[in-house]
Amino acid sequence: MPLALLVVALCAVLGGWAAWFVVRDRAVVLRQLWGAAVVEGVLVVQAVVAGWLAVSDAPPVDGVLLWGYVATQAVILPVAAAWAFAERTRWSSVVLLVAALTVAFLEYRLLQIWGAV
Amino acid sequence: MTQDDGGAVRPTVTRGTRPTGAGAGRVLVAVYGVLALAATVRAGYQIVRHFDEAPVAYTLSLVAGLVYVLATVALARDWRRVAWVAVTVELVGVLTVGTLSLADAAAFPDATVWSGYGQGYGYVPLVLPFVGLWWLWRTGRPSPAAADDLG
Repeated sequence: MPLALLVVALCAVLGGWAAWFVVRDRAVVLRQLWGAAVVEGVLVVQAVVAGWLAVSDAPPVDGVLLWGYVATQAVILPVAAAWAFAERTRWSSVVLLVAALTVAFLEYRLLQIWGAV
Repeated sequence: MTQDDGGAVRPTVTRGTRPTGAGAGRVLVAVYGVLALAATVRAGYQIVRHFDEAPVAYTLSLVAGLVYVLATVALARDWRRVAWVAVTVELVGVLTVGTLSLADAAAFPDATVWSGYGQGYGYVPLVLPFVGLWWLWRTGRPSPAAADDLG
């Protein structure tokens, strides 16, 4: 649960940063990608914790459902980062914003399904 | 989103059309990609776990998800003709299923992406096809020399 809240908070910061760049008509910069990498790192830690909890506690949650979310949210930011290199306009910032919001939303759903992570 | 860009790199003009997957189109592809992922993963889960409960709804969910995948790839790779078809299918799908799900709720015991005009997904499935068609029309418009849409 604290990890999920941390991810949501980080995504909010990253999304806000990207939104600011959209307004300023700027493309994504490398520093934002480091920010995205930090979020991704927390997601990996969360996946490991989730896996460990799933093995040790046998929680009352459907594994397919849980891993569907965990796997889905892991691919989003890397794709947005790859596009940041390909698209050197403000639209890469919009994509990063969309990506950050999506990950935050998936985290929120994850919290709803399974408060333990 | 109607403004093009400010001092940004102009998309290269090939065959008189502009690529569907560059510039603002990339945002469209991103949103399509998220929806494709959400719909397909969810349908996969529903089919694996609860297929017997609502086979029609879940099969439809999977078809819808795959159409979104197709639309995403087509827009990203600039396959215009495929994109036109996929986006049109989505528009027809969301309107048809949306109407049916409200008119005959018993036929759709569980939600699909298109139920209630995409209500469960913030109506994004309803808005997206219109944006997609507009974008395809817009990027494909200029230059009389480019009558051949080679997909």
